[in-house]
Amino acid sequence: MVAFGTGSKKIALELLVIAILLAVIPLVLMGNAYYELLAATVVLFSSMVVAWNIIGGYAGQLDLGAFAYVGVGGIITSELWIKAGIPPLLGIFAGGAASLLIAVIIGIPTFRFGIKEVWYALLTAALVVIFNNLSRVLMGPTDYYLPPKTGILYLKFNSYEIMYAIASVILILTVLANLAIERSKIGYYLKSIREDELAAEMIGIDTRRYKLYALMIYSFFLGVMGYIYIVLAASFSYRMFDSSSSLSIAIMGIIGGLGSIEGGIVSAMVLRSLGEYFRSSFGSTVPGLDLLLYGIVLVIVGIFQPEGIAGIINRINKAMKKKR
Amino acid sequence: MISPELLLQNSVDGIFLGLFYSLVAMGLALIFGVMDIINFAHGDLLMIAAYFVWLTSVDLSVDPTVTALLLIPLFFIIGIGIFFGMIQPVLGKEPLIQIAVTVGLGLILQNIALAMFKAQPKAVPYSIFNFSYSLGPLTIYASKLFIAVISIVTMYALNVFLNKTYIGLAMRSTTDNREVAQLMGINTRMLYAVTFGLGVALIALSSSLWMTFGQVQPYLGTSFSLISWVIVAMGGLGGITGVVYSGLIVGVAESLGSLFLTPSARMAVVYIIFFLVLWFRPRGLFGRR
Repeated sequence: MVAFGTGSKKIALELLVIAILLAVIPLVLMGNAYYELLAATVVLFSSMVVAWNIIGGYAGQLDLGAFAYVGVGGIITSELWIKAGIPPLLGIFAGGAASLLIAVIIGIPTFRFGIKEVWYALLTAALVVIFNNLSRVLMGPTDYYLPPKTGILYLKFNSYEIMYAIASVILILTVLANLAIERSKIGYYLKSIREDELAAEMIGIDTRRYKLYALMIYSFFLGVMGYIYIVLAASFSYRMFDSSSSLSIAIMGIIGGLGSIEGGIVSAMVLRSLGEYFRSSFGSTVPGLDLLLYGIVLVIVGIFQPEGIAGIINRINKAMKKKR
Repeated sequence: MISPELLLQNSVDGIFLGLFYSLVAMGLALIFGVMDIINFAHGDLLMIAAYFVWLTSVDLSVDPTVTALLLIPLFFIIGIGIFFGMIQPVLGKEPLIQIAVTVGLGLILQNIALAMFKAQPKAVPYSIFNFSYSLGPLTIYASKLFIAVISIVTMYALNVFLNKTYIGLAMRSTTDNREVAQLMGINTRMLYAVTFGLGVALIALSSSLWMTFGQVQPYLGTSFSLISWVIVAMGGLGGITGVVYSGLIVGVAESLGSLFLTPSARMAVVYIIFFLVLWFRPRGLFGRR
């Protein structure tokens, strides 16, 4: 939050740094398809965490339902392609819109009746389970596969390098959306809601409406990412509505620091990569090491470093300024 | 078409299940009510306790119900340990931080269990309650009846405890108003530790009951955490009766949901009811505040 500062030159610089870093990673991986797939997944997860930052970080609503929106968007986009022949390049917007519609249907009564804090977290966690159970009834327990076509029209390529590039573009767009929110009226309103909702309401902010806006933007982005997630996973089923993945998005957002874009990216990239490393090295002998790591980091962050990675970045920034 | 016998059978099963659920949620309601701590690791503690039941009853060849005598004091102490180690530092902090720490604890417990016992479900091979009565068209499993009876007895005992003993009254007054309770000379720190221990001890009892007919696997806790919170939300801190009624609603809804839809969609029914309750009765169905 602080590292990005306020000047637009500085923002351009930060974006450039992110873009260059994203561009360098495939060179390091040197054409190893497994690592490229991993890198694309990590970048996609980072974008989900950055999108979560809008509702969780700025608005301060602990949303545990990320994969409800990822699943709806992804499955709608894929089904539109399979059943109606609509190419995913257009379909992902329909998928995003479907997620947004769900968010509006859920969000209006939820914010209208003042559901917040733990109750909001529970509600969103329950939402994932509801979608999981209902889609199991509708879709059955089978896995579905996308048609074997590739190309820009289908946003689907055999080379994971290009999938990685698509994920990177989505990450940059999500970051841009965050920056736009942060520097606009909505951003200040959302932050004041996070700090003290009652006070925000007293000074005349329509808290319901702005929380709904945050939820809508967040769900739209996740809905769009859903299809890319399916392409990377190679298939889709009712299991996409996954509680523990939804939880891990929120976990990475909290560890990154609320309202911090760079903190979210760093925590998602580090935790997700470490998690994948543990899973591939010890997954067969000691399963669950990756999640154990998340748990330990979460407890440590919660007790000792509630500002998350963003707090550490701020401290480093301050220390560097002092030296100068 | 669903026959009336099947409907009756499922309703009775749902009532038994609901009484058990309310016992599970009771510890959570107590902890949340007295100390305002949001504990998302509730179900995972139950899962760990269930593994203890499995280990002791297999190794010592005793009935799972007997293990409760060992587990209740053990988990009371474990609960106090968790309180001083992890809960006290986040007392009074934002809900989000409390959720983060307890979710972290849940993940740690879950994955330690996964690493130690792998993902295959474990069940106790025998229980003295492995038989059933036939009551006309109705089949009543002894283990489920036993669980329901123990749940009722425990909640009655808890009710007496909360109304007649000094500690119980201190817990209730702290639930009502923390500052005033402190002014009246209640040592809230010790009270919190005891409450947390008691809540975890209640989980240990529930896990012994669960293992008379259920199985344990590392992810058992997730669904129990969510169900317990749903019951607490619907009960609205309305005391023990509120928790019991909400538990019954959840149990019967789950049981009938698996009858009318499919068993895999049964939780959707419960959570849709939860949505409606939160939207239209945000203070819970039986709430006091």
